[in-house]
Amino acid sequence: MPEPVHRVTFMPDDITVDVFRHGETLLRVAMAAGVHINASCGGNGTCGKCKVIVDRGLVESKPSAKLSDEQWEQGYRLACLTKVMGDLVVTIPPESRIDNAALKARTGGKRHILKARDLNTLVQGLTVDPAVWKLYLELPPPTPDDNLSDLGRLMRELKRRHGLDGISTDFRLLTRIARLLRDADWQVTVTLVYNPKGLKLIDVEPGDTTERNFSIIIDVGTTTVKGQLLDLRECRVAAAGKDCDDDEEANLLAEDARYNSQVRFGEDVISRIVHSQKGDGLRELQQAVVGDINEIIRALLGQSGIDRENLSHMVVAGNTTMTQLLLGIDPKYIREDPYVPTANFFPPVRGIDIGLNLPEHVHLYTFPLVSSYVGGDIVAGILGSGIFQREDLTLFIDVGTNGEIVLGNCDWLVCTSCSAGPAFEGGGVKHGMRATRGAIEQVRINPETFEPMVITIGNRKPLGICGSGLIDAVAEMLITGIVEPNGKFNRGLGTDRIRETEGAWEYLLVPAAEADGVGDIVITEGDLDNLIRTKGAIYAGCRILLESVGMTFAELDRLIIAGGFGQFINLERAVTIGLLPEIPVDKFMFVGNGALLGARLVSFSREMMRDARRVSDMMTNIELANNMRFMDEYVAALFLPHTDTNAFPEVMKLIHPDPAT
Amino acid sequence: MAFSAVSEKYSGKMRALEIGVGDKKAVVGGQASMPFCSFDSDLPNKPIIAMEVYDVVDPEWPAAVVDPFKDVISDPVAWAKKNVEEYGAKMICLQLASTDPNGENRDAAYAADLTKKVAAAISVPLMVWGSGNVEKDAEVLPKICEACEGMNLLIGPAVEENYKKIAAAALGYGHAVVSQSPIDVNMAKQMNILISNLGLPLEKIIMEPSTGALGYGVEYTYSVMERISLAALSQNDDKMQCPIISDLGKECWKAREVKLTDKEEPSFGPDMEKRGVLWEAMTAVDMLLSGTNLLIMRNPHAVKLTEEIIDEMM
Repeated sequence: MPEPVHRVTFMPDDITVDVFRHGETLLRVAMAAGVHINASCGGNGTCGKCKVIVDRGLVESKPSAKLSDEQWEQGYRLACLTKVMGDLVVTIPPESRIDNAALKARTGGKRHILKARDLNTLVQGLTVDPAVWKLYLELPPPTPDDNLSDLGRLMRELKRRHGLDGISTDFRLLTRIARLLRDADWQVTVTLVYNPKGLKLIDVEPGDTTERNFSIIIDVGTTTVKGQLLDLRECRVAAAGKDCDDDEEANLLAEDARYNSQVRFGEDVISRIVHSQKGDGLRELQQAVVGDINEIIRALLGQSGIDRENLSHMVVAGNTTMTQLLLGIDPKYIREDPYVPTANFFPPVRGIDIGLNLPEHVHLYTFPLVSSYVGGDIVAGILGSGIFQREDLTLFIDVGTNGEIVLGNCDWLVCTSCSAGPAFEGGGVKHGMRATRGAIEQVRINPETFEPMVITIGNRKPLGICGSGLIDAVAEMLITGIVEPNGKFNRGLGTDRIRETEGAWEYLLVPAAEADGVGDIVITEGDLDNLIRTKGAIYAGCRILLESVGMTFAELDRLIIAGGFGQFINLERAVTIGLLPEIPVDKFMFVGNGALLGARLVSFSREMMRDARRVSDMMTNIELANNMRFMDEYVAALFLPHTDTNAFPEVMKLIHPDPAT
Repeated sequence: MAFSAVSEKYSGKMRALEIGVGDKKAVVGGQASMPFCSFDSDLPNKPIIAMEVYDVVDPEWPAAVVDPFKDVISDPVAWAKKNVEEYGAKMICLQLASTDPNGENRDAAYAADLTKKVAAAISVPLMVWGSGNVEKDAEVLPKICEACEGMNLLIGPAVEENYKKIAAAALGYGHAVVSQSPIDVNMAKQMNILISNLGLPLEKIIMEPSTGALGYGVEYTYSVMERISLAALSQNDDKMQCPIISDLGKECWKAREVKLTDKEEPSFGPDMEKRGVLWEAMTAVDMLLSGTNLLIMRNPHAVKLTEEIIDEMM
């Protein structure tokens, strides 16, 4: 835990909170502290509802048309435009707050909002030693006495200077090496790649380019494709998209991402496989995702100003179907009993061979797979989260379109996969979106007026709602009685935020006037159904996996959650809706995108490549498709928080009885 | 060494539900063991059979369930009296089929008036069953609750789509509610949670986990009810400790095997009445063995046969 830099006291409730970042906005501080301030524009200063009075302390604030000169003089500021620059005492005036003792009691206490962790905290003993690296060589030109071949000359130097032996050579390189060496006056940089069979020479460039050695890593998800550009020399992320430019920490894990354009052929892996069997379907699917990756490569190169020629390597993690489709391997038998993939380990593939816009020497390393429904993204997640190194009993949950769950430690790993749905990635939700700028990521709802307080990524006008915002919103709606445990709106609350539009019931989260040109942002009963099915499948999968080894949630030392919810996840809220079990919060850890985490490790350390193979070999897959108990657990989980209310005693205390009666 | 019988002791116990008031009161449930396991624990209340009375009869009904009521079939009040006085019914279930909007679509005021008349005419507790149309039941049943305030009728079925209005009216006017759910143990529990969240205590709820007749899903009902009982007794799950009711009369008497003549299916034999009676009684016994406390039945002979079996087993 970092040291707090400032403290803010909110009056009249007299709630004091620590602030960990100099310059954090007051609205975010209030949200984190559970202090309700009305706010509906996501924090960009347009709704003017978050008026506060700064009584004491140093702030930096912008004036607003929503504040009169007289108010400014009196110390009124908009919380979303006000940065905390020192210790503060702030009064929330009656028009911005709710006078409610019950709320204070309910939201008091520490909040547990987890930010995505970086890899260094998770994996032990990481040796930085990239699988692809460059060496600068000055070769003696051939003479009558030293008339070794060009390639032999290179190899001799590699052995002599660097002790490297038994290196194979990419044939294509040979076709141009003779001219290249002479044009470069025998001063060249070679690129070597480590793969399970040994070392391979893949490129020779004139002069010294060892400074410029970059790798692209890609997470090919069913719904979303994400990429990062890595600097292999310094082992850092060189370009990761600019979605969250207001927060350095978030920036590291924000990726250049786009929806997988295979979505037009079907939302889930099954419908993609079905499409691959039609005429030219397999090629269409491959081209769709290759096109997405090419776009991401272009964007990452553009952001970082790096030349395409300096790319040396690419690492891809995807589920089994996505991996096979990307490589153009017929996925037909993935969905037919007894559900086997074509291979667990794929040899390195030249990028240009599958249509990727990469220099010809760049090869693709694909993460090994476990089974038809537990793929390379999970192996990457297990690798990235360090579970395979620790004795602690850990449950790893990757929430994607398929929810994958792994249980175990350094001695054993069991895994399973359940069809969860894309709700947490913004799919199947009316105003759902990926966790990018303008996505509502935090929500509080006033239990008396049912007015929401929303904050968006980048403090922009709201465009939609991402996974973490959805979890927050549904939890708040459940606690305030807006939503009943069966996922239906309470129509008797007497608020016009709950309304019927074209025969469907919905809750108005942000009115059109305060949203970013997308009309009213609402949450519908259909959205709630999708969310409940998604969280239900994941929770049920966890229960069955634990049951299969005779364990319960209580025995876990640690629970790691990965997924594309957003920058962070509010644990209490995820427990409130029954996505996560009610266990002590200090056992939870959020790693954000597990696949990219693992892909970074593999890029930076060839040791990890061996470990990836070991992890994949270690995992025992448990198939839910023929598990009789799964359906039962699933139906039990289709309730908020759960039909087994005894498993959620603290949540049950929060949920008030129906206020209508 | 002397023989000592093994006795199963459970941590939980089913609630007892009272239906009716004063000398028209009956109690069901309250057991702390699996069905008829009197060697494990006392069985405080015998399962009860409520005999059906319809306010309109489907012309498709087989003779076996028309003939016993021929003289009263168009007069629900007289039918109810006959069931009690001649056939010894211990409870009456008034089936308000005529309120169905797809049928006669009679209104709530009529239904409330009829319920009061039937209640006044009989000396046993009364249960009132809607047409099964969720919107119409939400209109009709609350009216009946209001008109019969304080009589502690059993009102139902309340389902996910209409439970709020029905349970709120039952709570307001002092009645008990049938909580009906699709045939699934978790869904049965979810309905109980939803209804009790409205403020109606679990002591005023009986569960109808959807009844399938013999040959029409009886085995699903059997295992769901058995699992409800086990959750209530061995896991002491308080949301599952409501007694169980089985609405089986209407399921049995629409079965193909009950309606076919021996001309259509010679192997079934000519005695259609006996076939139907056994079909209903057999379904009833299956329900009893898997934990029901209250049965809704139609044919007087089937009722008599089932009651004899209950007496033998207790």
